[in-house]
Amino acid sequence: MENGYIMKKKRTSSVFVSSKWFFAEKPVIYILLFTYLFLTLLPLVWVLSTSFKSNEEAISLPPQFIPTNPTFDNYLFVLTEPHIMHSLFNSFLVSIGSTILSVAISALGGYAFARFHFKGKNILLSVILGLFMIPVLINIIPLYIMFSQIGLLNSLIGLILTFQILIIPLNIFLLKSYFETIPRELEEAALIDGCSTLGVLRRITIPLSMPGFAIAAVLAFRFSWNEFILPIVLANKPDSIVFQVALYEFVSLYGIEWGYLTAGINIAIIPILVLMLIFQKQMISGLTLGAIRH
Amino acid sequence: MAKLKILITVSFAILFLFFISPMKLIPIIAQEEITLTAIFAEPKERWDMLLENATKILNERHPDKTIKIDYRVLPYSDTRTQILTAMAGKTPIDLISLDQIWLGEFAEAGFLSDLTSNTQKWNKSSDWYVQNWEGGLYNDQVKGIWAWTDVRALWYWKDLLDKAEINPDELENWDGYISASNKLNQFLQKDGIQGMHLVGAAHSPDMWYPYLWMIGGEILEKRDGHPTKQNYWYPTYNSDFGVRALQFLKDQVDAGTKPQINHYWGQEFADKKFAIMLEGSWLLGQFDKNEWDTLKEKIGMIPMFPVPNSSNTNTSTLMGGWLLSIPETSQNKDLSWELLTIMVEPNVLIPMLLQQGYLPTQKSIGEGEYSAKLKSTIPYYEELVSLISLGKGRPNIPEYPIVAEHIRNAIEQVYNGMDPKQALDEASKQSAKALGW
Amino acid sequence: MLILKSFEPYLFLLPSIIILFVFLFIPLIWNVYISLHDVSILTIIKEWNFVGFKNFYNIFSDYNFYNSLKVTLVFVCGSVLLQFGIGLLIALLLNQQIRASGLFRTLFIIPWTVSTVITGFSFKFLFDDSFGIINYVIEKVGLESIGWFSDPNLAIWIVIVANTWYGAPFTILFLTAGLLSINPTLYEAAIIDGATKFRRFFYITLPLLKSFILTNLILVTVWTINFFDLQLIMTNGGPLSSTTTLSLYMYKQAFEFGYFSEGAAVGILLIIMNIAVAFVYLKLFDVRNKKT
Repeated sequence: MENGYIMKKKRTSSVFVSSKWFFAEKPVIYILLFTYLFLTLLPLVWVLSTSFKSNEEAISLPPQFIPTNPTFDNYLFVLTEPHIMHSLFNSFLVSIGSTILSVAISALGGYAFARFHFKGKNILLSVILGLFMIPVLINIIPLYIMFSQIGLLNSLIGLILTFQILIIPLNIFLLKSYFETIPRELEEAALIDGCSTLGVLRRITIPLSMPGFAIAAVLAFRFSWNEFILPIVLANKPDSIVFQVALYEFVSLYGIEWGYLTAGINIAIIPILVLMLIFQKQMISGLTLGAIRH
Repeated sequence: MAKLKILITVSFAILFLFFISPMKLIPIIAQEEITLTAIFAEPKERWDMLLENATKILNERHPDKTIKIDYRVLPYSDTRTQILTAMAGKTPIDLISLDQIWLGEFAEAGFLSDLTSNTQKWNKSSDWYVQNWEGGLYNDQVKGIWAWTDVRALWYWKDLLDKAEINPDELENWDGYISASNKLNQFLQKDGIQGMHLVGAAHSPDMWYPYLWMIGGEILEKRDGHPTKQNYWYPTYNSDFGVRALQFLKDQVDAGTKPQINHYWGQEFADKKFAIMLEGSWLLGQFDKNEWDTLKEKIGMIPMFPVPNSSNTNTSTLMGGWLLSIPETSQNKDLSWELLTIMVEPNVLIPMLLQQGYLPTQKSIGEGEYSAKLKSTIPYYEELVSLISLGKGRPNIPEYPIVAEHIRNAIEQVYNGMDPKQALDEASKQSAKALGW
Repeated sequence: MLILKSFEPYLFLLPSIIILFVFLFIPLIWNVYISLHDVSILTIIKEWNFVGFKNFYNIFSDYNFYNSLKVTLVFVCGSVLLQFGIGLLIALLLNQQIRASGLFRTLFIIPWTVSTVITGFSFKFLFDDSFGIINYVIEKVGLESIGWFSDPNLAIWIVIVANTWYGAPFTILFLTAGLLSINPTLYEAAIIDGATKFRRFFYITLPLLKSFILTNLILVTVWTINFFDLQLIMTNGGPLSSTTTLSLYMYKQAFEFGYFSEGAAVGILLIIMNIAVAFVYLKLFDVRNKKT
């Protein structure tokens, strides 16, 4: 029976065999998984349900799972408010721009680490990887002063550039590992055929690295889309706020407008969720292949 | 290869978007167009109301210019952060709203323009209540104009008190207040209503000072012998008065009142989640304006904080509110000053005061020619205004915010069971250090 | 041509290095400078006096600093243990022969895709004293409702739970990738050799997963040490500073009280702490002997 499974599902078979001792009883596994699933989804489902309630019903007792008077008003309100829509647009611009920039830059950097031997390579790599230890918060005051002097304050370009510091170290590491899984021989063959290094990159390496780029892009998008501390200080003019900051408008002095806020929360989740679903497979394989060498 | 093409196309499309978007975001500046930038604290409606009229008037006075006000309304703590970072980065800002307690700090830091000569020309200072005018001074320079104030008083739901058979007079002294809280909790618990409101949020010191003041205590006092400044402020809030005042808060907790860590500025009272609440006059703004006519039938107000003994103690209250200031970084100081003065003009200010339930800092609005409208509209208006003379402001020295944090911490410790004396002594040690002793 | 060749890798790295240098390294150096000078709200637009290590001295003599160290210890240990424990368990379970493991995995990743703002508010909503569903259920069962955010002993755990909810999916994803990278033939060989499940786990799975676990632990721990969004949104550090971690302490010193120098100094302590943690992990896992 076990063998039958191995034949059918090659990937999962391995670990099934390895750790079956953990919980010999299937039901226990399912109970654990469903429990965790319940805990994972509870807050989100509750937020989803609340987003269809009026602000008053959202905080009324007893809490109803199914809204008594389901309404789309919260979504209508959020999606027709011009400056909130503008912030959503800003968020898209910033996140897409930051994603493209980060993948491009990290791909170049990762490729250098994966394919070349050069002086100071190991030190440079550890320094870049070590950068994530710096709490970004402490840089806010210097960044603010710097930005105000070079005119990047309240500009989306400024945000795109600062977001890179959150993403580049991780993505360089990831793409470096990914490039290393691509057989060097393929590139060497192309080089012999007269391709330039950039040509090799374009014709061989990039097409083969698409899954790696996918995961790097999803990660970059996720960080940019969700970041909130940097933009609240560096870009908070009505023209330049991003969606995560705009969500704060529903938190007023007199309480939180939970109906609007939960609707906003759900809108904020959608793009990233869609991306995740599309690239789920690539992400897993990207991480796996990428990490094999380490 | 196809994928690559798509990638390149998409990149170009997005790059294109980038190049057009900044152009769209930066307005083309015409010659006579001036934009004043401002940072204000929430709630937003009050600024919307004020600025709609003020902008109109300002533009009428300057037909040669098109003046726009670009203002950002931020949550309380972000307002402070934003002003700080903006000043640090020397960002031009033309007008800010200032909590009275920030004035000393911001003035000392050199963030605020000196408005003294403007006010002399303006010649309206005598129309301000003295405490309110002085609240805008730092080292004898005018650094801000106190635009409106609020005083805190005791509010109660008449029907709930009746239900628990409590005579509102009982609430006026400390013992009565505590025993009323016992009764209320007994009667109301099953309805999900709490008897007394007790502030456990960040501004809990504000709700403690009146008790301290009414029995003779002070937060800080000037003393000789300061290491660097000779004569300077020293924390005296841990005196016996302070301990007694804090003991009263502790008694409330012991009597079953829960300190509220979330504060909704009277909304919780308007929602009838509490029978009794000590809260600012803005509480009225939480009720529907249509209800104001009949509000006195439902809601009672005692213009005081409870006193230890009704016969021989005068009550006290805390005066808050917002100041308007012009930052040093402003590049249009004259125009900003003009805007500021328009914003505090009675015909511009009054509609907003009416809407929000704030109290005026100007005598002409409080008692004089303009008061009729406020009297007839705001419930309990005269009683509330009478409190202004009993109201005290908080020290506006640069170190006040950190001292307040020490006091807040002490109050929180006491809510969680610490002895008031010990908590205040520990806090005052930290405060003394922060004040340079 | 040959000379150009030797420059090539540096050219490839140039964009990354420029961005990191300008937006991360320069501000960092600037911060070191600030931490050695007297920069507060009162002096920020005036001259900054050099004060040596006075800011560090001030921090080390502040009672709140030690309190925040304690809170950090609880927060980091709690969060990392829970995130790692749950992450490893779920990753292992997902690799059993179960139905719809892909669907499970997708659903499990969702919390990691949302922002801290969203996580913070969602949990605030669930655990609210008056209208939160958790307290409602507790009351329904017949127990007394709990003031989750007003009890100094409980509040930190609610933040840890929220942080675990938010962070565990990363560990699940990361370790799943690790488990998938293990060559199935190793297990097949082990089965033929008659190794027990227990032995297979400890002699094949764990050693091969070691580098994944190490990287994961370093990442998660450092992230948690630097993390302050949830504390800020959910409790603002209270009650009684019981949720003020060192990172939030830094935020409050700098932005609430305007002591920028001391905030910068705490930031430097945080970096030192992070490096120390990474070093300890590396020592524990003894990477020098690592063969993978």
